Amino acid sequence: MSKQYYVESKPAAGGVISGNGMKADAKVAYVDDKPYEVKEGETILSLIRRHFGKGAVPTLCDAPNLEPFGSCRVCSVDVALSKGGPVKTMASCHTPVIPGSFIYPESDRVQKLRKNIIELVLTDHPLDCLTCEVNNNCELQEVAARVGIRDVRYPEGKTHLDKKKDLSHAYMTSDFSKCINCFRCVRACDEVQGQFVLSMGGRGFDSHIIKGMEVNFKDSDCVSCGACAQACPTSAISDIFESKSIQVDEKVRTVCTYCGVGCNLEVAVKGGKIKSIQAPYEAETNQGHTCLKGRFAFAFYNHKDRLRTPLIKKNGEFVEATWEEAYDHIATKLTEIKNKYGGDAIAGISSSRGTNEENYLMQKFIRAVMGTNNIDCCARVCHSPTAIGMQRSFGTGAATNSIKDIKLTDCILVIGANPTDGHPVTGAKLKQFAISGKTSIVIDPRRTELAKYATYHLQLRPGTNMAIMNMMLYYIISEGLEDKNFIEKRTEGYEEFKQEILGQNIDELEAICGVDKNLVREAAIAYAKAPNAMEFHGLGVTEHSQGTHTIMMISSLAMITGNVGRPGVGVNPLRGQNNVQGSADMGCQPYQGAGYFEVSDPVYHKKYEEFYNAKLPNYNGLKIPQMYEAALNDKLKAMWVIGEDMAQTDPNTHHVVNALSKLELFVVQELFMTETAKLATVILPASSFLEKSGTFTNGERRIQRVNAVVAPIEGTKSDGQVMVDIMNRMGYKQPELYDPEWVLEEISQIVPFFEGVKWDELGGDGKQWPVNKEGKGTDILHTETFKRGKGKFIHNNYKKSKELVENEKQYPYIITTNRELEHYNCGAMTRRTNNVLIVTDDVLMINPVDAAKHQIVDGDMVCVESPRGKVDVKAKITDEVKPGILSSTFHFPEVMMNNITSSVSDSEAMCPEYKVVACNIRKSKGEYKKPKATV
Amino acid sequence: MGVKLLLEHDKVEGIRYYDTYRKNGGYRAAEKALKMSPADIVEEVKKSGLRGRGGAGFPTGLKWSFLAKPEGVPRHLVCNADESEPGTFKDRYLMEFHPHLFIEGLLISSFALGSNTTYVYIRGEYAWIPDILEQAIDEAKNNGWLGKNIQGTGFDCEIYVHRGAGAYICGEETALIESLEGKRGNPRMKPPFPAIQGVWMRPTVVNNVETLAAVVPIINLGGDEYAKIGVGKSTGTKLMSACGNINKPGVYEIDMTISVEEFIYSDEYCGGIRNGKKLKACIPGGSSVPILPANLLLKTAKGETRLMNYESMSDGGFVSGSMIGSGGFEVLDEDQCIVKHTMTLARFYNHESCGQCSPCREGTGWMYKILKNLEYGKGKMSDIDLLWDIQRKIEGNTICPLGDAAAWPVAAAIRHFRDEFEWHVLNPDESQKRNYGLAHYADPIHVAASA
Repeated sequence: MSKQYYVESKPAAGGVISGNGMKADAKVAYVDDKPYEVKEGETILSLIRRHFGKGAVPTLCDAPNLEPFGSCRVCSVDVALSKGGPVKTMASCHTPVIPGSFIYPESDRVQKLRKNIIELVLTDHPLDCLTCEVNNNCELQEVAARVGIRDVRYPEGKTHLDKKKDLSHAYMTSDFSKCINCFRCVRACDEVQGQFVLSMGGRGFDSHIIKGMEVNFKDSDCVSCGACAQACPTSAISDIFESKSIQVDEKVRTVCTYCGVGCNLEVAVKGGKIKSIQAPYEAETNQGHTCLKGRFAFAFYNHKDRLRTPLIKKNGEFVEATWEEAYDHIATKLTEIKNKYGGDAIAGISSSRGTNEENYLMQKFIRAVMGTNNIDCCARVCHSPTAIGMQRSFGTGAATNSIKDIKLTDCILVIGANPTDGHPVTGAKLKQFAISGKTSIVIDPRRTELAKYATYHLQLRPGTNMAIMNMMLYYIISEGLEDKNFIEKRTEGYEEFKQEILGQNIDELEAICGVDKNLVREAAIAYAKAPNAMEFHGLGVTEHSQGTHTIMMISSLAMITGNVGRPGVGVNPLRGQNNVQGSADMGCQPYQGAGYFEVSDPVYHKKYEEFYNAKLPNYNGLKIPQMYEAALNDKLKAMWVIGEDMAQTDPNTHHVVNALSKLELFVVQELFMTETAKLATVILPASSFLEKSGTFTNGERRIQRVNAVVAPIEGTKSDGQVMVDIMNRMGYKQPELYDPEWVLEEISQIVPFFEGVKWDELGGDGKQWPVNKEGKGTDILHTETFKRGKGKFIHNNYKKSKELVENEKQYPYIITTNRELEHYNCGAMTRRTNNVLIVTDDVLMINPVDAAKHQIVDGDMVCVESPRGKVDVKAKITDEVKPGILSSTFHFPEVMMNNITSSVSDSEAMCPEYKVVACNIRKSKGEYKKPKATV
Repeated sequence: MGVKLLLEHDKVEGIRYYDTYRKNGGYRAAEKALKMSPADIVEEVKKSGLRGRGGAGFPTGLKWSFLAKPEGVPRHLVCNADESEPGTFKDRYLMEFHPHLFIEGLLISSFALGSNTTYVYIRGEYAWIPDILEQAIDEAKNNGWLGKNIQGTGFDCEIYVHRGAGAYICGEETALIESLEGKRGNPRMKPPFPAIQGVWMRPTVVNNVETLAAVVPIINLGGDEYAKIGVGKSTGTKLMSACGNINKPGVYEIDMTISVEEFIYSDEYCGGIRNGKKLKACIPGGSSVPILPANLLLKTAKGETRLMNYESMSDGGFVSGSMIGSGGFEVLDEDQCIVKHTMTLARFYNHESCGQCSPCREGTGWMYKILKNLEYGKGKMSDIDLLWDIQRKIEGNTICPLGDAAAWPVAAAIRHFRDEFEWHVLNPDESQKRNYGLAHYADPIHVAASA
């Protein structure tokens, strides 16, 4: 708080105050003449609430996640500067406490004032409480009852009670006859989401909330985050699920299954069905905020398309089976294949959407029961280069810091990530950061939402991250901005690295990435000079042939500037899936087991064998792309997949489909009949996150409890139960009933950084690993030393992708892939919610220059052709992409964008290069046609 | 003839052009000030005892000394030319006819405060005045008084004229700042005060047009000499914009030693009540200050002659006094109906409430509705008490002083003219046909009981 000039402040009265347990020099203020300790800069409201509880002062415009606003004046209290001195009424929510002042929160005058204000508010409010959605959960109702309104003295007059409801939107609703003009929705839209859709139109009595330019929710720029609905104290803004109604049986706190932010959700259940979802304010990850996927996109869970019975493919047709039949079929086939071809003819792909416990059981099943290290998970296609790259540089392949550090940093560097679409809650925080005018650097081939607000946007050509990184490091070194102290004490390999960097040809790199070198220089200097700079990256870094190399360069960038190991700095991958961190932690990769021990290391091989009490192979297994190769070469005979739709999402669809079609046994655990499930020989119907318990580990290493909200849909089983059942069936004894508690207990014995994790002690906000024996988590890694001892500088030169080297002559365009806020990956879930009413199909972003060249107008179907195949997709003409660059999503199977993506992958981690595909475009001749790839 | 400092050259033809203004001693103060240190200028202004002419009368020098000066952060001077108080038009007069005096004041103040970018936020309805100001700014610039390296001192200053869009609330300094930033003109919470975080979160001083113009004579005369003019804490001269039922409405410069009676009746100023009518009441300082009945206007409750200055006008507090405010002097003769007059004001404040704080948003609406009922003979006795209750709940209970501004006229009208309101309730039909008239208000001193 700033100095207060116009009010003469008195020194704290007294000095030593006995009997209150306060420090002698503590500043005090008097509430009802009794002394209470004052915290520096706190408001009167915070003082009273701290000492007398949350409900001590009634409020209307105050909300837990918003800045004080001072408009309702219901929180007014009487304040005197000396005992018996003149009393002034002040709004307690935004008035700082003057030490030594005398505060009277319930004086007669204040009580009358509150009553009168509420009476005035009620003159323009429909008194239809009994039929209102928020009856008994309405802050106005509560405050009115509390201040004791008995009648309204005002005569009849003009009101706003005839305002029309807005039911235009897929989720959001409004009924402004119930609006009390508290501005909470406007502030939530501004301060929490940063979307600026809602604002106040008109003034005085005519003040009214408007959306965009006085349009309805549907036509506005609303991103449906629902923050306004949650902030609204009445039912003026709500949603189609009536999330504020208390007509529910119970509310269960759990964790969202969409992205790696790990938002906590409060799920309301009525009659065994999910009614609505809100975000708890006290949750550390999301503080009452979440996006439309977390808040609204849950209707998939009991969609009619849910698989409800096991299916076995017989003569090309799926036939319904019982669980027993399915298990028998699988067990027989697996035993047969194992005996005939050996365990290495079997492979498993676990799911980063599943819990830690399920991932752990899956890899244990594949390793201990099937006897192979052929276990991988969808991290392969997203953040595997991050894990490997950061392990090599730092020793740990996980985010070094926490999301809350955004509040503490001075500069953000966002590379290859579009967090406002992909990680909306973290994205909103980053956007707020950029909007506030602090230094923000975005490196992205697209002018993403964040790039529009950023101080520097380095709009590089796809696939040239390494060029930019080399340039930035060059400028930091040549400008003498490196943190010599940090480099000397904490790192190794610097001298060699420095020589490599200084040997770079900057002009050549400038030509490669297509970004003005002066801009790169300025950005590099801004990053290096910031007292604390925090780096975030996404799949725009990893899904490249040089993904792992780029990660190591990013790590070097952080080390060279000393931005590791304290609050507000670090290298922070924005994890794509809810538990992509956890699935890797649990050992769902072919070269490392649970806890990241190398399977080929004799010490750990022995340790694992003893722990699992089974014979394990001591060599690495197959990564996902290698599995396809092996299947095509008849080396792989059986595959077990949990909840991944490779046929739609893995690159080069034809190749994937051909491989999967050759398998003798292909077990798929799924919620829906996805493109992959269609290729299965056995489908096991799985339960969704709302129907099971366990833990997810979010992008900041936070292990959080997922709690079953409803019972599994009839006929389905959780992935964990299936794993337990099949292990028991195949003679590897496990407790009959899957329960995360015992699995977690087992995990804590093998994974060192889970040592102190106990199911009962995780609480609402979970713990960030490593969790020590005493159960204490860690919010910042590498504070004293790096996990690997010293941080290592590893240099690589930019290398052009094989895809471009081979194909750019015939296919001069580059198409890169991106995500839309409204849909999640293959869309199996989000396409079965009202989200499809908001975003209905994949679109191809194309620069106006290119569009003109090919006579393409907005909405035309465009044929995109690559060496692998071609797809037809609707054009969206936009300057978000530079000429020569195209971008599209792959949420919809109707387009099958991955028909054209390539099999080129990261040299180290084999993460596919989704982001650089050589292609050509032309206007489609015919009407929209369905691609023929799917079987 | 009283002392004339601002309107000294009022009768000089062409004074609004640079050459004439310069020939008549214009920019002499600027010449002098640019040779002084900024701190010395602030000191002179402090010594002068100048009080803000916008209405609140806060000491200008003190306000300037609050301005935070963090390293590397630009500071701004913003002139509040959003003169929207009904009955007030002195700033318009200054800007329209003496633009160079105003710009000279802006320049000196900008120099004193270290503002390289100074804004004039002008009322949207003053549609023609920005042209006059911009022309004058160009002239000043061409003659080296604005722009880069002013008069070789190394000081840079640009003045921008920003038009408001027609909102009374934007005369409130924080709402003005919001509006200047391009946002909806809603007042901000204080603290932080503009002196710490104002325009674009930078330290900002917001001053009224007349206040800044008064800096010119202060520099010319010296702070001490300026302070000798006037009486007590009412130093210097004040512009009054007189209107209503008087013979000579207009803008007058007074030296704050004259009596209210002299101001109304002397030929030098208002020239008496029009058509030989009797004085009924007066709002001495712009529509938001309390209305006074004739007896309390001319003499204080203690029986002393009321003078046209800050102290004397507010003698007796709100019980029997008022405020000099913005200098909008509105005179009502015996034919005026206080209820209707109050209703008109309530309608204005209802229209102008920004709607942020609930007491003002809802309260101003109901005050207007109830006053309308009373005026049109549909009122109840209890309505008068309800009206009193509403204004009590608005006053002091809003983010900005507009709440007070809306409450005071209603409060004062009921306090001093309650019988006229009651007459309206008791005589619904008659009140539609004739006015209550003068009643006892012009009688010799009668001390109104506190309500």
